[in-house]
Amino acid sequence: MNATGWGVLVYLVYMAVAVGLTYWLARTLFRAGGVFLESVFEGRRELGDAVNRLLVTGFYMLNLGYALYLVRSEPQSNAFEAMQFLVNRFAVLLVTLGLIHFVNVFVFWRIRSRHEQSTTPIAPQAILVDSQE
Amino acid sequence: MRLTVLYDEQCGLCRRARDWLLGQPMRVEMELLAAGSPAARSRYGAIPWIGQDLVVVADDGRVWRDGSAFLVCLWATHRYRKFSQTLSGTAFKPVATAFFSTISKRRREISSIFDDECTTCVG
Repeated sequence: MNATGWGVLVYLVYMAVAVGLTYWLARTLFRAGGVFLESVFEGRRELGDAVNRLLVTGFYMLNLGYALYLVRSEPQSNAFEAMQFLVNRFAVLLVTLGLIHFVNVFVFWRIRSRHEQSTTPIAPQAILVDSQE
Repeated sequence: MRLTVLYDEQCGLCRRARDWLLGQPMRVEMELLAAGSPAARSRYGAIPWIGQDLVVVADDGRVWRDGSAFLVCLWATHRYRKFSQTLSGTAFKPVATAFFSTISKRRREISSIFDDECTTCVG
């Protein structure tokens, strides 16, 4: 196979894996995030779904955009160079996806903790010293 | 968190309010206890306002009475939590607490308008 041939193959493999990976991660995030948001937006299901969808859409755009941005391949002359290039790109891609994923989890966590902070709106008039319950 | 609401079981309006509250989907676990019941007296005898004002006790010992207690009851429901938070903001708080307080003070009179039987009412 000539250099251009390797380059095209590398592109194809990279694109397939990058898109597949992004899809799978986004699905995972959407499913797990949905469960999470459901408990936060109790009684306001549509709102939870909307937030989830917005987050996943952002995740898709960021990931796919970054994955496409990463491939700036020079023509590879042999299989070893092609492999090296692929492995290197996947490593960078995975580390970045991991970081973005953790940012997402952090966002979910923030939403949840905000929700839990929703304490009583008004200050109590007294506090029982030895609460009997 | 768990709330115990001590209401005046001798007033028709309060019983209506209790039934309304029992029908609401709650966000916080809530127990409604008649202020004159033995359970209320043994558990919360230390609270001076019981029977006179509406009293809400949280399981961590916080006690609300009168207007504030009404707002906490609203806050505990699914549907009116946001409304309660609005009413508790600086703009509405004085008005809202005064409003509930007035209703609470005149509960016997209001109950008589509804023609709720009140066999043990005093005053």
